[in-house]
Amino acid sequence: MTVGDSPTFEARHLSRTYRQGKVMVPALSDVDLAISAGEFVVVAGSSGSGKSTLLHLLAGLDDPDSGQVFFAGTELATCSEAERTALRRDQLGFVFQSFNLVPVLSAYENVEYGLWLNGVAKSERRQRVENALESVGLSDRMRHRPDHLSGGERQRVAVARALVHEPRAVLADEPTASLDSRTGGEILQLLIDLNASRGTTFVFATHDPAIVARAPRVVHLADGRIVDELRREAS
Amino acid sequence: MLSSIALRNLSRNRRRSLLSLLVVSVGTAGLLLTAGFVRYSFDGLRDAIIQGGLGHFEVTPTTRLDGDSSASDGSNLPPAFARWREIRAELESRPGVRAVGATIQFAGMATNGERTASFLGVSVEPDRERRMGMNVRIRRGADLPEAEPVAGEDRVLLGQGLARSLGVEPGDVVTILIATTDGSLNALDLIVEGVFSTGFQEMDDRILKTHVATAQRALGSDGVTSLVISLEDTEGAREAEQDLRQVLEGGPIPLAIRDWESRAPFYGQVRALYGGIFTFLGIIVGVLVALANSNTLLMSVLERVREFGTLLAIGTSRAQLASLVLLEALWLALLGALAGGVLGIVLVGIINFLELEMPPPPAAVDPIDLALAVIPSDFLLAGAFMAVILLIASVPPILRVFRLKIVEALGHV
Repeated sequence: MTVGDSPTFEARHLSRTYRQGKVMVPALSDVDLAISAGEFVVVAGSSGSGKSTLLHLLAGLDDPDSGQVFFAGTELATCSEAERTALRRDQLGFVFQSFNLVPVLSAYENVEYGLWLNGVAKSERRQRVENALESVGLSDRMRHRPDHLSGGERQRVAVARALVHEPRAVLADEPTASLDSRTGGEILQLLIDLNASRGTTFVFATHDPAIVARAPRVVHLADGRIVDELRREAS
Repeated sequence: MLSSIALRNLSRNRRRSLLSLLVVSVGTAGLLLTAGFVRYSFDGLRDAIIQGGLGHFEVTPTTRLDGDSSASDGSNLPPAFARWREIRAELESRPGVRAVGATIQFAGMATNGERTASFLGVSVEPDRERRMGMNVRIRRGADLPEAEPVAGEDRVLLGQGLARSLGVEPGDVVTILIATTDGSLNALDLIVEGVFSTGFQEMDDRILKTHVATAQRALGSDGVTSLVISLEDTEGAREAEQDLRQVLEGGPIPLAIRDWESRAPFYGQVRALYGGIFTFLGIIVGVLVALANSNTLLMSVLERVREFGTLLAIGTSRAQLASLVLLEALWLALLGALAGGVLGIVLVGIINFLELEMPPPPAAVDPIDLALAVIPSDFLLAGAFMAVILLIASVPPILRVFRLKIVEALGHV
């Protein structure tokens, strides 16, 4: 099912349980959520509340035990693995807590990789990678490998990698958790600015109250359930 | 881009990659040395057979090849044929033919007056033998003189085992007793010109060698039993055979031609034996290289589970990840084969320079050279072999990639 004005993400009665040894642990229980295009949504909650599970299900990285996930009107359960791979490659960007850059590639090459996957020509890749790195303030660090970059710089590279192919949405799983508060704040501001300037949908999982306080929309998770939702008017 | 990443991934754990490269390169060098030895042995054995008296081809009357080994005259001698000089002249005029020599095979008893031994005789034309490049291994005395001996001055070369049995040395006289073509017995005194070796102990115990003219005198015939043809180049044997067959088909006598391989069946047996040994060694090397590198590649994948999870999450297909592992294996094969090739060249150079010898094989008399003949295609084949082995070695890690669950991989520590 594809609908023209569908939300970017929609979860209906989403549940997911994991097995830990002989015990079944519920990670998400009956979650309903809709995220419109261009929104900046923070999924907040303590560790183990189900934030990462929700992001994984929204991205089609995992399958729910019950319920449905729609991306731009397409139910992910109806997609083959190849179709989901193509969807993530073309329409989604990811930012991880531990940056997850490829250590043998330079900052430039890490960002370029996503474009290469998308089959973008080399000359165009160069222009777009340079623009992406410039937009995150790393024009002078392009040829450095991740182990020669600070934590904040690595996360900026990861943000550039997530955005360079101009995805419909970016999923960021605790992207500031490995950073100090000042750098984390800078990364958050960078993402908010990019959201504002590009209109890209952002779903941002965090347990940092300082970040939650700045988010325009916050979905609170506890024990796998949405317990609160807050919307702030844009200032 | 994947190829570049694969190459760089090898530098992540340099010690392990170097160890893998060492395994591949030593395996490659081992294969090259074995192939070089086998090739040298094949070539050496081929040349020894051809230059040991068989030549490239033998022309005989067709009745001999039809299984009728008796002569038409009723004796037990191989059938002889006349007009061989004009046939020889015709054959020698053909392109690629170096020389053609007549031979007569006969058998009888030899004695020095005190001891007697049976012999197998072969008579040759020494001048043509030399033109044909035949290798006569003289142990004592001299080779047969080129000029045909006059009656009463007949010469003989004795195999070293036969000379020992008879207790004779160069300069002594032996008497041979043989059946003539009409079935009667004839005796002839021969001056021992030298003692020689065929390289094979059993043959050395029985063989003697005379001029064609001597054998004809003893047999009472002016025919010969075969013509031995030597070519300029062994590689051109197939083309030459076709040409020579056409010449013989239009000739005055029904004659057949056989190549050296069909007259030396043990050459095929040796090839099969060496081929089996080489295959066995290749399998052992392949299994060792595959096991060692499969473990290396699998470890490399297990250490990068989270990275692979990330790559899958951002849109890399499993086939692309499998290609990455495959390319890492191929880089190992390529670099290892190159290093192994260099190592092989160095070792081949050293071994050939040292001019080492190996003990004589069973039934042989002389030690054999431990030399290696490696040709460029061997390097390509060894490299291709290693590539196949590394492809096989990459199967377990690739299967691991296909079994990865993205969410679990992202949480892998």
